[in-house]
Amino acid sequence: MSDAKEHIDKLMQELRRGTTTIGVLSQLWEPQYGYSLVSKLADNDIHVEAGTLYPLLRRLEKQGLLESKWDTNETRPRKYYLLSETGKEVYDLLCVEWKSIVTSLDRLIDPKGGESNGND
Amino acid sequence: MEMIERYIYAVTQKLPQSQRADIAKELRSLIQDMLDERVVDREANDQDVEEVLLDLGSPKQLAQRYRGVNKYLIGPEFYDSYISLLKIVSLSIVVAMGVIFAIQFIFDPTGFFDYLGGFIASLVTVIPQGFAWVTVGFICIEYFGGVKAEDIKLGKEWRPSEIPPIPETKRQIKRSEPIVSIIFYVIVIMMFLFSNRFFGIFVFEVDQDGRFSTVVPFLNEATFSNYLPFIILVLGLSIFKEALKLISGKWTFNLVLYSTFINAITFVVVSIMIMSQSFWNPDFMFDLVQAGVITEDNEAYGTISKIWDTATLVILATFIIGLIWDSVNGFIKVRKQ
Repeated sequence: MSDAKEHIDKLMQELRRGTTTIGVLSQLWEPQYGYSLVSKLADNDIHVEAGTLYPLLRRLEKQGLLESKWDTNETRPRKYYLLSETGKEVYDLLCVEWKSIVTSLDRLIDPKGGESNGND
Repeated sequence: MEMIERYIYAVTQKLPQSQRADIAKELRSLIQDMLDERVVDREANDQDVEEVLLDLGSPKQLAQRYRGVNKYLIGPEFYDSYISLLKIVSLSIVVAMGVIFAIQFIFDPTGFFDYLGGFIASLVTVIPQGFAWVTVGFICIEYFGGVKAEDIKLGKEWRPSEIPPIPETKRQIKRSEPIVSIIFYVIVIMMFLFSNRFFGIFVFEVDQDGRFSTVVPFLNEATFSNYLPFIILVLGLSIFKEALKLISGKWTFNLVLYSTFINAITFVVVSIMIMSQSFWNPDFMFDLVQAGVITEDNEAYGTISKIWDTATLVILATFIIGLIWDSVNGFIKVRKQ
């Protein structure tokens, strides 16, 4: 049993790698700083650790999908991230791709359209 | 709160220079946010800080996430040192070849263009070799001395209190020290590779062919080529040691351990070499007389002969003191806190 759990952990980690990116991009039409994004995603049941999210934000910024700006007016300086023009375009295309993956996988997992998945 | 700075230092130190300041600032603000959320209204204590840092993951792991996946021969952690070492090595090769060129020219001014050709040709062949050796050395450091895969495995236990303190200035190694040493060693290697005749007594006198001078070599010309690989091994190890100092940037226990180990090998190889009869020029005194520096009935003959005979022991003693001092000095620096 623990063997299966180990596999699941590993597979979920791979699966999350891509979906987290989509989740992050979806929330950045408005500027957000890293930690506010962690809570916002958590509210929607997407649990990302700060130690994963911060490097991810930086990577997306380096790729040009995000723009960033330091806000030093508040008591604590914070780095805000926002979708760039490219980022917006990429996000829209990514959503289309995602939906098509979901549709295809639904069909594969559940070929008879919800009658039975044969795993019970 | 000091622990936060240690944590941030431990993370950013493993990242490229250009990103350090910004990531440090962002992490500092993140950790404060996480602390605020944890303690709500009361003051945060060390326990809170520890728990927040544990949530963030070990510094190595976090740094690894910032760097991305490990797909390179020489990673960003060592890239800066790699580039500066390449510069140092090529600079010293050019200087060494220039010195050799100058010496040749002084010996025989008529051969200027031959030597110039030789100078350029050797630059073309030797610099790529220097690059290759530096690269191979760094690949080894990357794979054997760098971040070990187990250390950054998920879930490996770590304690924030184990993060080393930011090194004091006394433990830091000035970049100039290893750089100067590396340049020196490269020049010596080049001179050995080129000819053993650079190590001897230069006699400046115009001989019958119009050549300017002769050299009375210290080393045995007949057996020199047998010793050459060992000489290069020793000097190469010394360069490796200096490179480690340059990369580490501070005195650590491991660094002292490695350099002591290298010193021990150096000492053994050098002692075996210089204690053996065939290493030194057996006709040194005779050659000196031939070159007209001294005459056999001269008073100086006795003195030089005596110096020559005891030279091996003197060199060996100096060598031991130098190597031991190198290690002891390292230990002292490590203990300074």
